Amino acid sequence: MRTIACMEDLEKLAEQKRKENRGYSRTVTLCAGTGCCASGCLSVIKALREELERLKLKEKIKIRATGCHGFCEQGPLMVIEPGNIFYCRIKPEDIPEIVAETLQKDRLIERLMYTDPSSGRKIACEAEIPFYKAQDRTVLGQNKLVDPCAVGDYIANGGYSALVKVLTSMKPEEVIDEIKRSGLRGRGGGGFPAGRQWEYCRQAEGEPKYVICNADEGDPGAYMDRSVLEGNPHVVIEGMLIGAFAIGAKHGFIYVRNEYPLAVEHSKIAVEQAGKLGLLGTNILGTDFSFDIKIARGGGAFVCGESTALMASLEGMVGEPRPKDIHTTDKGFKDLPTNLNNVETWANVPFIINKGSSWFASKGTSGSKGTKIFALTGQIRNTGLVEISMGTTLREIIYDIGGGSATGKKIKAVQTGGPSGGCLPEELFDLPVDFEALAEAGSMVGSGGMVVMDEDTCMVDVARYFLEFLLDESCGKCVPCRIGLSRMLEIIKDITEGRGTEEKLELLKDTAETVSVASLCALGKTAPNPVLSTIKYFRSEYEAHIKKKQCPAGVCRELIHYSIDRDKCTGCGVCLTACPHEAITGEKGKVHRIEDDKCRKCGICGEACKFGAIKLS
Amino acid sequence: MSEYVTLTINGAKVRAPRGTSVLDAALDYGICIPHLCHMQGVIPTGVCRLCIVEVIEKGRSKVTTSCTLEAEEGMVILAHTDKILKARKNIAEMLVAEAPNSRAIQDIALKCGVKDVRYPFRNKDCVLCGRCVRACTEIWRSRSLGFVGRGEQRHVALPFDERPEFCKRCNACIDLCPMTITPCDGPMKKGEEYFCGKCESQLSMSEDFVDSCVWCRLGEGFDVTGRHAGRKQEDKR
Ligand SMILES: Cc1cc2nc3c(=O)[nH]c(=O)nc-3n(C[C@H](O)[C@H](O)[C@H](O)COP(=O)(O)O)c2cc1C
Ligand code: SF4
Ligand code: SF4
Ligand code: FES
Repeated sequence: MRTIACMEDLEKLAEQKRKENRGYSRTVTLCAGTGCCASGCLSVIKALREELERLKLKEKIKIRATGCHGFCEQGPLMVIEPGNIFYCRIKPEDIPEIVAETLQKDRLIERLMYTDPSSGRKIACEAEIPFYKAQDRTVLGQNKLVDPCAVGDYIANGGYSALVKVLTSMKPEEVIDEIKRSGLRGRGGGGFPAGRQWEYCRQAEGEPKYVICNADEGDPGAYMDRSVLEGNPHVVIEGMLIGAFAIGAKHGFIYVRNEYPLAVEHSKIAVEQAGKLGLLGTNILGTDFSFDIKIARGGGAFVCGESTALMASLEGMVGEPRPKDIHTTDKGFKDLPTNLNNVETWANVPFIINKGSSWFASKGTSGSKGTKIFALTGQIRNTGLVEISMGTTLREIIYDIGGGSATGKKIKAVQTGGPSGGCLPEELFDLPVDFEALAEAGSMVGSGGMVVMDEDTCMVDVARYFLEFLLDESCGKCVPCRIGLSRMLEIIKDITEGRGTEEKLELLKDTAETVSVASLCALGKTAPNPVLSTIKYFRSEYEAHIKKKQCPAGVCRELIHYSIDRDKCTGCGVCLTACPHEAITGEKGKVHRIEDDKCRKCGICGEACKFGAIKLS
Repeated sequence: MSEYVTLTINGAKVRAPRGTSVLDAALDYGICIPHLCHMQGVIPTGVCRLCIVEVIEKGRSKVTTSCTLEAEEGMVILAHTDKILKARKNIAEMLVAEAPNSRAIQDIALKCGVKDVRYPFRNKDCVLCGRCVRACTEIWRSRSLGFVGRGEQRHVALPFDERPEFCKRCNACIDLCPMTITPCDGPMKKGEEYFCGKCESQLSMSEDFVDSCVWCRLGEGFDVTGRHAGRKQEDKR
């Protein structure tokens, strides 16, 4: 490959690639993201390769294995272009039919089409599917256009043109101004204005300067950064290049979580490719701008995603946060000015440069611009990655995109922002996704986790679960977080196990406030959110646990009680055989009984009984 | 650049050498800010969080630890707002519940206004203030002690659980440890811990007598010998 020296070179290369692509009559795009791989996409891809080989169609039909398309719930996914034909839940056995019917004869296979659960209608086009229709997939949308390991795909789709534009026609200050005007704010949790942060770093004294891409993503259930980095690493690299130019940084790191080997591999390949094209290295595009990127593997702990802990870990020290009275933009990695941004933040940069800050700022609310990716999980029908324009309401995300409850039960709450986000009740679902609006309500945009909970969820138990996670992940350095969280957990366990009192609930609140006011880093500062928000919005559940010693959702084991309804029991004995703890007694044909002291509250009897005779109270 | 900066702490104009932390500036002036992990001459880590203050910047308030905050010209600090006092008291309460067997910590709790301890006592032998580890590493340039483990598992350990060859036997770890001063009535047994609350041995003078607040001495060195961190402080006086 020749190196790229100017805009014409890039356009030539892009045109050449596009021409190559036009040589194919059809392109089959298969999602090879995390979710689809889990549901078996790799064998589907293999089957398709073999089938095309067998029919000698390899020259005519292009296969593109890409990063995540987002609709993981329906995987493995396939999109056939032209036509925007969308097939889901494909098995290797379906391949011959797809090739023979759709690819060769242009006939649709109804069985593989997506069924809209609300209308029962079959939908052929990807763009028509409600899950996609209500989204604004600026960043994620590019995933299905590019093979992550083929820089040509990225360039054919306009990749690196923002970099060339910046290097050939803009001053660093102009780039910073453009980012400032766009209103881009950090996507990794803090929501700090990116342009301002770049400016601080540019103005800071000390050489060389560094930029870092935070791809540590330790939140359980989150995989948006992973999907971007795995699916489209070049967009992140291009963003970092533009940032580095604006800031005056010479070196960059992508700090990737160790559990993401594919993201590591793809970013390594991408860095190499960009280097070969002359887009990374010394004197990029013949200018005096030089920049390199190294890939670093994460230390493995959740707290390593915190900016100062990440930098300590990069330096080879223990990944623990330090006080931020001196900003990392002044003294970060190796005590030199360092600008850290999240994967998604970087990925937005090339779009802003290409389409303009006003395009970006036209999306969203007054304080929160652009789009944000969320990982939609929990008791929701369409789990997956969704990208929405800021300002979209929670209700739209949950019902229009997410398709509502997966269980048919009423949705009661949504937790946004990762493990230390707050739980918001149904009454607040009309809140827009906006940094300030969610924070005011006691939650946050955070890194973009979104867990939907139905009425079978006990909110006290949810608070306990997140608290346990956060205490486990606390570095243990500072008193409020280490001791405070462990005291909070102690109290919440008391409550879920029937030892709760009003005084303890007050103490829980007091402790939570102290932890959020006084902790050293944002892990501690935000850790009380799940507890505080559930006390605020679901206080009656706490009171039921404390005063009545009851768990309304029937989750907290110590507070629930199984018994057999005399009127419904037929004496079939199924429960007796099913119970693993031998807690059920009774004779065939007669009403059975559960012995309280032996019952371990696993609920297996309830699942076994065909007559609904097992009562939960 | 002038060698001194002037900042406002609790409304008082305080002059301090450039590079001083807000905590040291306040203590030198005579404003009492409770502290535990802070020691003179050792890099502050801001882990006990007792010394939190509000910094007012452009009309907005931010909570941070005064030991890690460098005093700057024109800085406005509020060290004793209701919000701070409440959090500080709660932190002291957590500390004393964790380690009732330290008179230093009992005194800190008393000073921070703790009246009763609402958490069950845990009676640990270490509050992870890091004084020993930092004195060992920074003052005596030995690395005989370190932190191991994360979260609740965090603890101070010797390499391979043995006193290493390179230990200088300076005793700093013991002299500086807040846990080495036991309550007047002797160590409390497990299950029989209580919050003293009456003992004023360490606090014979009150915060009102600005210049002679014993409190500050208490915070700086549980250093009976004065050989370690306290040294520098004496020099300065
Ligand atoms: C405990 C903890 C974990 C974090 N983990 C991540 C992470 O995995 N990825 C990330 O981008 N930011 C994470 N952050 C936020 C970072 O500290 C930092 O704010 C962010 O990466 C800055 O980039 P941004 O301004 O582009 O969002 C974490 C913060 C805390 C306190
Ligand atoms: S808040 Fe928690 S994670 Fe952060 S420094 Fe303190 S103990 Fe460590
Ligand atoms: S041993 Fe003493 S000085 Fe060392 S960390 Fe524990 S309490 Fe602090
Ligand atoms: S945090 Fe400042 S003295 Fe401990």
